[in-house]
Amino acid sequence: MKGGKVAAGIKSFFGSVGGVFKNFGTAVAKGDLFVKLSMLVMGAGYIRRKQIIKGILVTLLEAGVIAFTVLFAPQYVSKFGTLGTVVRESVFNMTTMKNEYNDYDNSFLILLMSLVSFVVWAAFLAFYIFNMISVYNLQKAAKEGKHINSFREDIQELLNKKFHITLLFLPVMGILLFTVVPLLVMILVAFTNYDQNHMPPGSLFTWTGLTNFINLFGGGGLTVTFGYAFVRVLAWTLVWAFFSTLTTYIGGILLSLLINNRKTKLPKMWRTLFIITIAVPQFVSLLLVKHFFADNGIFNSFCEAIGLTEALYNAGIISNMSIPFLTSPGWVHVMIILINIWVGVPYQMLIATGVLMNIPGEQLESARIDGATPRQIFRHITMPYMLFVTGPALVTDFVKNINNFNVIYLLTSTYVTTNQALANSQAKETDLLVTWLFTLTQDYYNYKMASAIGIVVFVICAVFTLVAFNRMIRGDREEMFR
Amino acid sequence: MMKKKTIQTILHNLLLAVLALIWLVPIVWLLVTSFSAYTGVNATSFFPDEWSLNNYKNLLFSADTVAQFPNWFKNTFLIACASCIVSSAFVLMVAYAMSCMRFKMRKPIMNVAIILNLFPGFLSMIAVYFILKSFNLTNNHWGLVLVYSASSGLGYLIAKGFLDTVPVSLREAAYIDGASEARVFWKVVMPMSRPIIVYTVISSFLAPWMDFVFAKMILNSGISSMWTVAIGLYNMLDRSLINTYFSQFCAGGVLVSIPISILFVIMQKFYVEGITGGAVKG
Repeated sequence: MKGGKVAAGIKSFFGSVGGVFKNFGTAVAKGDLFVKLSMLVMGAGYIRRKQIIKGILVTLLEAGVIAFTVLFAPQYVSKFGTLGTVVRESVFNMTTMKNEYNDYDNSFLILLMSLVSFVVWAAFLAFYIFNMISVYNLQKAAKEGKHINSFREDIQELLNKKFHITLLFLPVMGILLFTVVPLLVMILVAFTNYDQNHMPPGSLFTWTGLTNFINLFGGGGLTVTFGYAFVRVLAWTLVWAFFSTLTTYIGGILLSLLINNRKTKLPKMWRTLFIITIAVPQFVSLLLVKHFFADNGIFNSFCEAIGLTEALYNAGIISNMSIPFLTSPGWVHVMIILINIWVGVPYQMLIATGVLMNIPGEQLESARIDGATPRQIFRHITMPYMLFVTGPALVTDFVKNINNFNVIYLLTSTYVTTNQALANSQAKETDLLVTWLFTLTQDYYNYKMASAIGIVVFVICAVFTLVAFNRMIRGDREEMFR
Repeated sequence: MMKKKTIQTILHNLLLAVLALIWLVPIVWLLVTSFSAYTGVNATSFFPDEWSLNNYKNLLFSADTVAQFPNWFKNTFLIACASCIVSSAFVLMVAYAMSCMRFKMRKPIMNVAIILNLFPGFLSMIAVYFILKSFNLTNNHWGLVLVYSASSGLGYLIAKGFLDTVPVSLREAAYIDGASEARVFWKVVMPMSRPIIVYTVISSFLAPWMDFVFAKMILNSGISSMWTVAIGLYNMLDRSLINTYFSQFCAGGVLVSIPISILFVIMQKFYVEGITGGAVKG
């Protein structure tokens, strides 16, 4: 069933793409002289139908893209295959008496601008095809004697039937420039050797194929440590995501049940107290907690005062006279998950409270009339309802926790690993894939590996989300409330 | 019988009190340390040995090269306002288009948005950094505003969920009266969407206050007067500075937390209102 649905979706997608090309073909074949002329001068068809301003605008756009293609794009796109060959050199210029640079290649700019060019061309191609179709439609409308919009009416259309174009234009441009293009750039970087030794503008980087992925998965000879670190980090990422999701989920439900119980006095006050803890920005609260549990921090003093430190020391569990809450593997892992309970439970409590309040009252009432005990009501009504509503959210929470940067980074940015193999690839025991990625880029400029890791993170998240979405009835329910 | 119930109630509330205490310990520590006369991390006692208002005084009135709290606050406030305006507009525009209008590319665009949301944000950040750099927008507040708001359209789902519950009959009535889509957007749907507008505005206003990673990445020149509150406070805990600035860090933490907490609580209220949609249905 599910497979069928996805297949149908793909089929309809390609069906509509095919339809567009068919319409384009018809337009080219059956269009009159001006429609055919629109293949060269894109505004021709509009001007013929007296849509002069529109025709001029479209032609200007075409001219702009042509100018872009001739004057701007070639200097980058022509070098896309090699990502540049001329290394920057400083040459002493006798006439100006200064050191000047030669006309060097910047690999990153070549990559970026080539990509921008590709995006521009792809967008233009789509626009070109739709333009032909719309010019041909105009011809048909004119032949049938239908009304043809004036420029003014076209503008009004944009506030009415085509309002979605007006609404979506700027947001989509923003997403294109600040999400899509950067993502594509980084995906491409994963196939290059862009790192500290190949940093533009000082030096060049180039394509290396799948080398980074081979290193990451442990196939490379010298860089076998990367494979080692990757497995370790990936394992901890999944363990962390599993436990942090589960603990906060259960904790949140329990806390909300506790607060919404009839025995609770002043439920609003309790709820506010818990919300306050998450209203404080994480960079304040987590950095504070980090110092709270530091080796020479206040909690360690407390443990020493009550004799816990000594007891653990005598039992041989710790080797120093301080408990290494956030400084030794094992301890730190448990502590991170515990601290995350502190951070995450109030959030889940809020969500669970919302769900609890929405449980259909009639069900609870009829159960009560039938003589069900509170425990039975909880087991057979409250809990199943809760699971049904929040179950899919569990998976999205899991994905969010895979990418949970703040908790890990703020708590363990100063953590020093003693595992040399991990340290060789700039990882540490507490790193998630995303924090590892962040350290690699920020502190070590190892963009190639960071990009490869980013792609892996994406694949993992995509798999889990697909599972989640197949279990939910996606989208189909959106008309339900109308 | 009665007695047993009373004991149960007391135990129940006691349990809540203990839990709340655990949850509030760090917050209380933040508060009391901000009034400490000792500037470093006090590791021996929870409450300061000597109380003082100096931390607040220094933070607000005698800025030095490290601590420039008034500047940071102003920077963050301006960045937050600018990106709040842009992102709220983007979110509401996309949400309306996706919820209330039907057009060919709707489903494909929604699916692409889901896929884009799956990439970790930092992955694109590296390239965004270089793009901004090539336009000379790093170490520039406008660059940061762009980072916060340009892609905000992707976060339209909650607002769409709310708009989905606005009865379609109301819009249909407006269309029959000859209203254009833009008019319906402004005069029918937006006035009815107060909870979700407030939620969107507050949440996009809060994002720059809470964010730490992107600010650190974009404003990396080390000129502390340029920073936002988050980087400034983070920097105070640097190994070489912590002994002189830890209590000031706490004071700064308290000062940003108060307005943020208030906004956060308001936002939660409107979020619940928006989700249950009580004001609109009917």
